[in-house]
Amino acid sequence: MLATHLQPLAASLFSLLAIASLLLAFVMVGSRWLKDYLGAFALQSWLIAILSAAVGYYGHYPELYLIAALTALFRGMLLPYLLFRIIQRLNVDRELHERLAPSSSLVVGAALVLFAFVVSEHLGNSLHLTGTIVVLALTVMLSMKLIGFLMLTVRGEAISQILGLLVLENGIFLGSQILVPGMPLLIELVILFDLLVVVACFGVLVRYLVMHAGTSSAHTLRRLVG
Amino acid sequence: MPADASIVASLVAAILLPPLIAVLGCLAIRRARPCEWLNLIASIVVFVAVLLLLPEALHTTRTFLRGYLIVDPLGAWVLLSVATVYLLASIYAIGYMRHLKEDQRLYRFYALFAGFALTTLTGPLMNNIGVYWIAIELTTLVSTFLVCFELGRESIEAAWKYIVVVSGGISLALLGIILFYWGGSLHLSATYDLTWSNLRGVAPQLNATVALTAFLLVFIGFGTKVGLAPMHTWLPDAHSEGPAPVSAMLSGALLNTAMIGIARFIQISDASHLGLMPRAVVVTIGAFSLFVAALFITRQTGIKRLMAYSSVEHMGVMALGFGFGGPLGIAGALYHMLGHSLNKSLMFFGAGNAMQVFHTKRISRIHRVLGPLPVSGLLWLAGAVAITGAPPFGLFLSEMTILRAGLAGPNLWAVFVMLLLLIVIFVGFLNHFRAMYFGPTVAQPASPRATFAEEHASLSSWCLVPMWLALVPLLVLGLWWPQSISHYFAVVAAQLSAGASP
Amino acid sequence: MTRDILLQIGQVVTVLLLAPLLQGCILQWEERVQRARGPGIFQPYRDLWKWFHKQSVVPETASLVYWIAPIVAFTCMLTVPILIPVLTNYPLPLSNMGDILGGGLILTLGSFLINLAGLDSGSPAGGIGSSRAVMLGILAEPTLILVFVGITLLAKAMLPFVVNHLLVAQPAVYWSPAHLFLVAAFFILLLVETDRLPIHSSTHIEVYMIDEARILEYSGPLLALLKWASMMKQFILYDIFTNVLLLPWGLSIHGLAVGAFGAAIALFLKFLVVALAVVFVETAQSRLRYFRYQEPLAASFLLAILAIVANQLR
Repeated sequence: MLATHLQPLAASLFSLLAIASLLLAFVMVGSRWLKDYLGAFALQSWLIAILSAAVGYYGHYPELYLIAALTALFRGMLLPYLLFRIIQRLNVDRELHERLAPSSSLVVGAALVLFAFVVSEHLGNSLHLTGTIVVLALTVMLSMKLIGFLMLTVRGEAISQILGLLVLENGIFLGSQILVPGMPLLIELVILFDLLVVVACFGVLVRYLVMHAGTSSAHTLRRLVG
Repeated sequence: MPADASIVASLVAAILLPPLIAVLGCLAIRRARPCEWLNLIASIVVFVAVLLLLPEALHTTRTFLRGYLIVDPLGAWVLLSVATVYLLASIYAIGYMRHLKEDQRLYRFYALFAGFALTTLTGPLMNNIGVYWIAIELTTLVSTFLVCFELGRESIEAAWKYIVVVSGGISLALLGIILFYWGGSLHLSATYDLTWSNLRGVAPQLNATVALTAFLLVFIGFGTKVGLAPMHTWLPDAHSEGPAPVSAMLSGALLNTAMIGIARFIQISDASHLGLMPRAVVVTIGAFSLFVAALFITRQTGIKRLMAYSSVEHMGVMALGFGFGGPLGIAGALYHMLGHSLNKSLMFFGAGNAMQVFHTKRISRIHRVLGPLPVSGLLWLAGAVAITGAPPFGLFLSEMTILRAGLAGPNLWAVFVMLLLLIVIFVGFLNHFRAMYFGPTVAQPASPRATFAEEHASLSSWCLVPMWLALVPLLVLGLWWPQSISHYFAVVAAQLSAGASP
Repeated sequence: MTRDILLQIGQVVTVLLLAPLLQGCILQWEERVQRARGPGIFQPYRDLWKWFHKQSVVPETASLVYWIAPIVAFTCMLTVPILIPVLTNYPLPLSNMGDILGGGLILTLGSFLINLAGLDSGSPAGGIGSSRAVMLGILAEPTLILVFVGITLLAKAMLPFVVNHLLVAQPAVYWSPAHLFLVAAFFILLLVETDRLPIHSSTHIEVYMIDEARILEYSGPLLALLKWASMMKQFILYDIFTNVLLLPWGLSIHGLAVGAFGAAIALFLKFLVVALAVVFVETAQSRLRYFRYQEPLAASFLLAILAIVANQLR
């Protein structure tokens, strides 16, 4: 496996990119402005694209260059653009009614990262891979997953929820680049396109939400209970 | 053999192409009536093709398109229940959707409906686990727009919750799949196709911790899609707010397509020697679904939400069946799958008819159903008796089989919990029907008798025929468990438990 | 040995004498950035001189605590430099009295006594100041501890000298994400602890003041001691930040007089670099409301967590 015998430089590059992506997830959690979210998401996607390319370079997977280019194009440019258009149409700038203040979310997120850390440490130990990039990748993957769920839970704006879902996906994608760089190209491509379809669907749904339900916040959707 | 293979291939084409043609056709024609017929014809072709496919699938497991498509007995059985519901719902949709009087937008409904059927039919045929995941994800995306087709505030709310909860949940399944792939790549080469059989082959070598983590993630992920409690939160909303045929498809077809993933992953967890833990988790979640369903069924006020929680219940029963395992458990779960598909379609059709007549979703405003709806009311009542697992119908047999399977296994407590909760649900569910059929009529000046009669006249036979078509097989399946089906289940069970015991 | 003792005294004297200069530089630069002339960089010395030559006015309600608090705080700030690398990169006599945590404890002791003194005289302002300072301390303390944990994991030791040696010897560790995140987390703590924006509280506006409120009752030489102590605290924190974390180079290795002198100059240059960053932050940031103070600290907490997580890769 690539991750187990890696040059120190490559390992620290990977870890830097992974941790920086995690940090950007926290920027999203800790900010109230929707455009900040969007910027952080775009940047995160670019980092993941760079990571893909780096994995391709060090692991000799030429097809990953294609993935990197497509990631940068789709996740780094097209998706943020689509979301930006939604934001403009919605005429909302910021999250007004979060259930948990950003600073508290940061602390909760930090606790989640620690949980992810414990789980991945356990996984790494069982495979005798402690102290390699694998554990770090698992940690970042699980943490971004948990942070995405945190965003889905505490944020009400439709856009925040979409971005929460995208953070979930980004986490998986990032982890899979390091853990299983040899994943068949077709699967990765299809997942990329799938994401595009998801966002398109959400765009339509948000329009319905505003037109027929008169709100852009999912927290006001509370009629169906029991 | 090549001749056989080409027959199977053409049958698979006959299953997947008609819905696709229907989608394209509806988008091209854009008029309501031809679209109805196009969709109906597609569903009939699919149903016939699936019926022909069943005996073919029994003999051998085949893969097509470089191993991306698989035809195996388990998948074919799920296809049967999906195709059945698709056919019934397509017939019913003609009557029901005309009633909504949205003819301009109706072609979109049929395009989406056929698309939904296409994605749902695709799922069980997928051999590559990643592609299977994507098929499941696509079902969500397509059906979201069916759920919010009526564009009411509630239906959009339901659609939003549906897509957010299910997409979030199913991404956990993707994480689990990636972990499985990773675990496998430590033993196979770095690049390999993650097919069911490949994963099944490498399963004994997988690291136990990784495999367990991955299994739990996958189970939670697909469990969200299946609607197992506590991940069921989207299900009552989506099922109650969509149009009745969509509810039937969601409940009778979609849930099964996701359930097959769980069944196959249980097989993999067995093969990787994880001990009793995975099955215990499945059984516990199944029992918990029954518990949650029992609570919400007894205190339910909405008629379609009642049906939705009943779906949670039946998915719990199926999870228990697959969790107990063994030939008996698997046979019971599969029999239950078909029975539930038929029965839940019947229930949603009945609820749709009642809603057309009484113009409400609230149980407390529906009285004396047999007055305005003599035939369909009776059918609905029979379905209600059937869905609670009462004797002359198919679900009774399958539930008994699952209980028997559980008695042989290590999770004995679950059998008694299941029995108790089934009784609670039986009482709670039928109590609502007692109130709706035989309860005292509350003074309600808003809906005089004359409009009832008028509405009744407008209830077309399109809405009645599928109910007959659902009830009769259900009764037959309850009275007679055919030998050929037993044999079929034995083959599936042998494949699912091949090589490893839990 | 004698030389080491002299050097140790030199460390303390360096801190004592250069602390006001650092404060002066920062104050002047802040004004310069805003296109004002600002006070001279020696203004803090003149202030201290002035206070020492004034008469002390003591409230009638004051008890003994009022008198000992400034002296203890000042003594604490004189003690901490013994424990940390100010001029030399090797331990000097008595520096094994405590590790980083010990130093933190002594710093906190000084702060604790000033809190008591704020409450002692019974004036409302003192109460406000003390309670706010404690609140801020409660928010900052977990982060500080986590940063220490991170440093410990990095160097497998809690002695500042060990960390310093490790970072100089292994560039890979220096550039590892764990270390960089620790630097960032500590930088935020530094801003909070040394009274800079976004928390900045050294004003006499009632809604903001924290430190000023605590020592509002003081005057004359006692006030001078307190002010001096707070400048020294800033100097000490800068010293830990630069010599232990950010810029571990440029310390005297052999302990010669030339080296020590050079180290003092290098130290001050490093401080200027940090001060520049601080001034930049102060210019870019606006003051937070009191109830949002936890936000930068939460960010810092998070960075420390990330540092600990990133640390596993070795």
